[in-house]
Amino acid sequence: MASRRIRIKRKALSEAAGRRLTITVLLAPAILVILLLFMGGLITGFLRSLGYFPLIGLHDFNFNAYTAILSDNGFIRSFIITFHIAFTSTLIAGILAVASAMLLRPAFRGKRFVQFIFSLNLTIPHLVGAVGVLYLFSGSGLISRLATAAGLIDTPAGFPPMVNDPWAIGIIIQYVWKEIPFIGVIVLAILLSVGEDYESVARSLGANRWQAFRNVTLPLIMPGVVSASVIVFAFTFGAFEIPWLLGTTFPKALPVLAFESYTDVDLAARPQAMAMAMVIAFMSSLMIMAYMKLSRRYVRS
Amino acid sequence: MTQVTLSALTKQFDQKSDPAVDRLDLQIESGKLTALLGPSGCGKTTTMKMIAGLLRPTSGDISFDGQSILSIAPEDRGAVMVFQNYLLFPYMTIAENIGFGLKMRKMDRKEIRSRVKDMLDLVQLPGFEERRPRQLSGGQQQRIALARALIVQPNVLLLDEPLSNLDAHLRDEMRELIRRIQTEMAITTVFVTHDQEEAVVLADRIALLFDGRLQQFDVPDAFFDTPKSVEIAKFFGGTNFIPGFYQDSEINTSIGRFSAPHSAVGEGDAVLSIRPEAITLGANGDNSVTGTIRSHVYVGRYARFRIEIGEVEVEAVTDPGAVKMFSDGEEIPVRFDPNKIWVISPSPDVALQDGG
Repeated sequence: MASRRIRIKRKALSEAAGRRLTITVLLAPAILVILLLFMGGLITGFLRSLGYFPLIGLHDFNFNAYTAILSDNGFIRSFIITFHIAFTSTLIAGILAVASAMLLRPAFRGKRFVQFIFSLNLTIPHLVGAVGVLYLFSGSGLISRLATAAGLIDTPAGFPPMVNDPWAIGIIIQYVWKEIPFIGVIVLAILLSVGEDYESVARSLGANRWQAFRNVTLPLIMPGVVSASVIVFAFTFGAFEIPWLLGTTFPKALPVLAFESYTDVDLAARPQAMAMAMVIAFMSSLMIMAYMKLSRRYVRS
Repeated sequence: MTQVTLSALTKQFDQKSDPAVDRLDLQIESGKLTALLGPSGCGKTTTMKMIAGLLRPTSGDISFDGQSILSIAPEDRGAVMVFQNYLLFPYMTIAENIGFGLKMRKMDRKEIRSRVKDMLDLVQLPGFEERRPRQLSGGQQQRIALARALIVQPNVLLLDEPLSNLDAHLRDEMRELIRRIQTEMAITTVFVTHDQEEAVVLADRIALLFDGRLQQFDVPDAFFDTPKSVEIAKFFGGTNFIPGFYQDSEINTSIGRFSAPHSAVGEGDAVLSIRPEAITLGANGDNSVTGTIRSHVYVGRYARFRIEIGEVEVEAVTDPGAVKMFSDGEEIPVRFDPNKIWVISPSPDVALQDGG
């Protein structure tokens, strides 16, 4: 009897182990890709940033690349503009996305169509968006010319610089345009799953519309808003093509700076390019952690 | 103390379907406990949400003390709703949950803290301030939800199925608590339930709704003694309905003529209804007929017999001792107490053959 029980137990154990093995085997390709591409890339990048690059004859480990970039005023300026781009785009897109999701939540006639239009530009590539921004907002763009025609400004040259401008307005417009539906679709799904009953309770207890939103709905959807924003922040902090097309020549956004150092004819600039990439990765993870901590505190209050 | 009046209140969610609430007229007495009773989907909760201001009526009016409140925002109505699934705010402590309504009124923090403490004492959960909703049992969450509503001293308290998510002994406790608090604070209270027993035990008056229409609004015992229709009688456990013709305080049926001084209808086609407890077995005399015992069930505190009288089968509930006196197949006299016969208007629903 006892031995049978042990046998059954052992059988159950081996079954569990088998299941675990199956899962591991099934996940292996994905894990392998992540390990090779991500960790491998990260480690290679890190080694190269330390000056170890045997292919081009560098064998010594040192922090020269880091000291070089961190003492460079241009790098600091680049860092500030990159942070500004990522933070401002994420904040504006987050706020507008939550507002749109709130508007899209109730049932109304034609909701499906509006929702389709809302999520349409999820499918449009960033580059196309950038070209759109160029056409619309540049000095010779459509809006500038319309404003001239309407007599709001004398010549298209009088149009405020919104592309390749020091405030990165063009870049932020492009990111906000592209990321609103991304955050919005996620927030809308959460709003629908949370339902309106909590809000009803709050209203019934004496909260007005704004109080109910601020004290009840927002804390309930905040985890989702945070996760979506973190992804947007990390992307906008590290993305290359939009600041490359729509940004200024000085200061350049960090990813542009890193790419240009990497493709520099001077091979000695390679460790610096890698150091920049490392700083980008480190800084964005640091800021994401800080952001998550802050918003968690907000949820609690 | 607030009197709530619903006049021709109607809610239609879309054009294609029937209204969820259909021309409902109701006077909810000030300071009393009123039940909105009915099967699920009969419009009870919809009615409650309209009173709270969470749903806009399609037509009709709601007034508090004679003043229409339709244009008043839900937060200013003073009608607080406690939801069936409690809906405590999950990211707040119990103290924050209970104090929520006062915080929205921008009350001083110290004052809120002391009132929260009073409320926790009232619902018999002292010292729960710092706990989180997920650490509480269903019954405790229910009491916190009640405290959260009571702290704002509502004019009207609306309870959606307050007992249905609780198990039996918690149900009794909660029922007592609601009764006690309601009597102490004399708040006009409306609660929604699908359980007729719950309504009878708790309510001062019951409004019975079928398909969004008010069927009867009365004190609880009236639903047993003088139901207005066969459906109402059935909802309250009535089982014996015999069609006949009513004339001169007598009803003539296929199994005989019975004297019936109490009637909801005048002369004409009618239905004799009698509760199983009002049928006496083995008693001769007036209002008696002969029947054959078909089967019986011994339940302990009482016994239930099925008796065939002509082509009608009736159900009788007797004291348990009757099981020893009568046996299945036996022919016995069966008496219908005339004072307990209630004559109602006929309805297509009356099932003759199976006796209900």
